[in-house]
Amino acid sequence: MAILGKERQEDWEVVYEGATGLIDLYQEDPESKGMNAIVGGFRVLMDGMFAAMDEGRPVVWHNCGCSPELIRGLEGVQTVPIELLTVLQNLVGEVDYTIALIDEAEAHGVAPEVCSIDKAAVGTVLNDLYPEPACMLYHNTPCDSQIAAIKSLTELTKKPMRLMDVPYLSGDREVQYLAKQLREAIPFLEEHTGRKFSWDRFHEVCEESNRTAKYLRDWNELRRHIPCPQVSKLVALNTALLVAFSGDPEGTAIAKAFHDEARERIERGESTIEGGELYRAVWYQDPVWFDLQFYDWMESELKLVIPMDLFGYYAPEALIDTSTPESMLEGLARKDLRVLPMSRQFKGPIDYYIDDYLRMCTDYKVDFAIFAGHVACKHGLGGIGLFREASREADIPLLYFEFDMFDPRVTPVETIQDDITHYIEDVVRPRKEAA
Amino acid sequence: MKKDEILSAFQEVIEGPRNVYLDEWVKAGGKVMGYYCSYIPEEIFTAAGFLPYRIRGAGSEDSSDGDAYMSARVCTFVRHTISLALRGEFDFLKKVKLPFYSMLSVPRAPKERLFTWYLDELKRLKAEIEAHFGLAITEEKLEGAITLHNATRERIRSLYDMRKKGAPPITGEEALTITIAAHLMPRDQFNTLMDDLLADLTKAEGARGYRARVIITGSELDNPEYIAGIEQQGALSVAEVVCFGQRSFGESIESGVDDPLNRIARHKFFQVPCARMVECFDDQVAALKDTVREFNADGIIFQRMKFCDPWAGDGHNLYWRMKKEGIPFLGLEREYQVPASGQVKTRVQAFLEQMGK
Repeated sequence: MAILGKERQEDWEVVYEGATGLIDLYQEDPESKGMNAIVGGFRVLMDGMFAAMDEGRPVVWHNCGCSPELIRGLEGVQTVPIELLTVLQNLVGEVDYTIALIDEAEAHGVAPEVCSIDKAAVGTVLNDLYPEPACMLYHNTPCDSQIAAIKSLTELTKKPMRLMDVPYLSGDREVQYLAKQLREAIPFLEEHTGRKFSWDRFHEVCEESNRTAKYLRDWNELRRHIPCPQVSKLVALNTALLVAFSGDPEGTAIAKAFHDEARERIERGESTIEGGELYRAVWYQDPVWFDLQFYDWMESELKLVIPMDLFGYYAPEALIDTSTPESMLEGLARKDLRVLPMSRQFKGPIDYYIDDYLRMCTDYKVDFAIFAGHVACKHGLGGIGLFREASREADIPLLYFEFDMFDPRVTPVETIQDDITHYIEDVVRPRKEAA
Repeated sequence: MKKDEILSAFQEVIEGPRNVYLDEWVKAGGKVMGYYCSYIPEEIFTAAGFLPYRIRGAGSEDSSDGDAYMSARVCTFVRHTISLALRGEFDFLKKVKLPFYSMLSVPRAPKERLFTWYLDELKRLKAEIEAHFGLAITEEKLEGAITLHNATRERIRSLYDMRKKGAPPITGEEALTITIAAHLMPRDQFNTLMDDLLADLTKAEGARGYRARVIITGSELDNPEYIAGIEQQGALSVAEVVCFGQRSFGESIESGVDDPLNRIARHKFFQVPCARMVECFDDQVAALKDTVREFNADGIIFQRMKFCDPWAGDGHNLYWRMKKEGIPFLGLEREYQVPASGQVKTRVQAFLEQMGK
């Protein structure tokens, strides 16, 4: 397909062609339904973004703490998550392009310890690689690195920006507070996009969001099956699904593909690991985005599967009550506060963070846990001592290492592979044998 | 008391987690409330009969205990304070039957639309303290606390006004020592010492041999030695726009016009914002430019604690904004408890030369 306009720039060409190449390669493969769906979904999203540029439709940027349903309530407005290009680059295996964006942001003065996806977002904007936004809607979650990024992006673009203040706790009072802010953001969005917010449209969007949520909720259940029916890396992609596709039929299609693939494979009695899985682990913290084939290596070489991770875990508070405008806003606020991975766990007391981890370890019947400490994720790493204590108390072996999820220069994939291999050999296997 | 004696007393106050005034307070049966962050109003603690005590990591030899709990990727200020807590150095905060703990969810944008939430958070904090300790924080007590803390603010403002002179009677190192001490000891005693100090400073001869006047801003800084390293190169710090410096004080809280908690909340919430706040960068820049002008500064030294993400964003933005404004700007990274190193000194020297000083 011909790519039009500004998106001819190499970075977009590469991800578009990469996505197309993956689809061409795997579309006939019945084992890749989930992966095909998400790659295909992202290609549709790119088409939508390019079309918006060509048609002069307004674009609203948002961040990964901000579920896009509210923005979708405005007819013809294109949503662009500020992490989009980086996610695509890594999804299609073009990490060198991300590295270039990271370097560019650092050269421009963004501190090295800011999260690599946020640095890459700044690099993307420095290179003028996103369509110009009419305005930006951001949440102050999931972390302070996002605060650094959104302040820098606002300064660089000089475009109108509105912050949704997500408080530390997640009770009913907090839901009301955020819902009120969402309501107040509507005139802001209308003013800057020139488009009218439609409650009917928002109702449809929330219904769509619920359809996606139901599939994800059931898919989370299916992933508990022993042996795990599906590849490990799908769980890592769930957050990308939520941020980019919530409220979009494409999101439902992806979630359905995740779900159906798991269900069909369970019905056929298939394990994702040839010869059967030997080890199961919960992967907590961040996925190895810079090399998603790493998950294939774990499965084939170690017979290790990740049935669930922090990014795939879908808390069951997700359904939006669509009966009234107020209930929809509250439902969306509840989703932002209690569901979005990281936003749910990284704010306020550490309880959610540790409780979710322990629940996952129990529900998914794992042999051990992997705390993959993304170096920039101070919100997660700050709790490592309490996390270790909780693991010891629950008698869950815990492997901890540090790396950067989008920058292989910090910890090469081979080092991570060695860490996991040795941990299994030295701790997990003897423990299993003794049991 | 004379300037040197008073400064020496303040110096002793800031050296470690405990100080003689605090110990006397505790010995007399007084309770202490520890807190982090400039958005926590001390007035509520004072009104409840507590000594407000801002937690810091001074006196921590190393952060190893904090490192073990938090990883080395969290900022050293926090790791040092956690290390002190784990070693029992803050046990004076536990001289109550059941230790009190609360977390304030301060909105991330200082906007009117979010103010009610902040005010409600303060009401919740007040109610929690009242319930936990079985006491009443009355309007009268809050009014009294406002008066006491305003008296501190007035003295800090007087001190800062003196620093606007061509020959300020006090260095940045000394001024930061004073403003840190204000967070760690009974405020009435602080105010008394300040009265003597200000009286003495009006007669004192000011510093003249400096090469340039600078504003020091950026992330948490409670280490006057760091400023000393900068000043030894010939830069005189005339204002420290940091959390333990000017940022914590500001203008006085109006007295008697409406509910005192509301006034306290407005004062805190709409203070000159720090980097954690969003949708207000223009206000931050305007305030900084005003300070540069008022204090007749030649440039800005921005220091940021490594791993402080909010200031990482502002550091980037301030650099470019100041470049555009033509205000000389030096950005430095630092670790907690580490005095200005040779590298920092070299960079300050180069900065002064760049400014033609």
